[in-house]
Amino acid sequence: MPSVSQTIRVKVLFFGRLKEIVGHAEESLEFSDAATIEQLFAHFATRSPELAKFRSSLVASCNQEFAAWNTPLHSGDEVAFLPPVSGG
Amino acid sequence: MSTPLHDDIYKLMREPIDLAALARHVRAPEDGAVVTFDGFVRNQSHNRPTLYLDYEAYESMALAKMREIGAHLHEKYRIHRVAIVHRLGRLEIGETSVFIAVSAPHRAAAFDACRFAIDTLKRTVPIWKKEYFEDGAVWADGELPPAPAATPRAKPAS
Repeated sequence: MPSVSQTIRVKVLFFGRLKEIVGHAEESLEFSDAATIEQLFAHFATRSPELAKFRSSLVASCNQEFAAWNTPLHSGDEVAFLPPVSGG
Repeated sequence: MSTPLHDDIYKLMREPIDLAALARHVRAPEDGAVVTFDGFVRNQSHNRPTLYLDYEAYESMALAKMREIGAHLHEKYRIHRVAIVHRLGRLEIGETSVFIAVSAPHRAAAFDACRFAIDTLKRTVPIWKKEYFEDGAVWADGELPPAPAATPRAKPAS
């Protein structure tokens, strides 16, 4: 039977203090409905509530490019949540 | 970006950075100036003695952003070669964490480009440092890179 929804698989990366909160640096996630980066973050914030308070001081990236929170996800995307950068 | 490579160097590394080799690399007979920036580990942070720093990066994106900075330098300034190298892992006091070298026929462009490069790197390249003190460790206060507000990217159909 043909399925109306399409499975989306994305790779998610965490850095700095986010990695410490989540407990690991990367994971793969599969979901069955269209979703945005914002919804992806909400998923992790539900699982690790401490993440939520960092939402306003993060930027997201999609495939190594800074991305808006409403960016729709596509299968194969690599999404990262980036705390304020402090290189140099 | 359409800018050619210009013999530039963009690198993340876990071993000590060879500053002299990078300064030599950008230097060429047609140039008249090399400006370098040597960023190294300070022994204190907000008057607290620092023990050491630990740097981590989103390596693929950090390299892409460093190359983007270089491409921008070539578009904006009359310069010749660029080297931008950042260290990762544990760094002791006094060790170089970031080194930038820019060559140009004339000094003004080299100064301006080098300043622009370090300022932009600190704002946009996904690298983080954790500062270790006698009584604990903290992630350094950083800068939030500018990100698009709400523009869904176009993606070619696959």
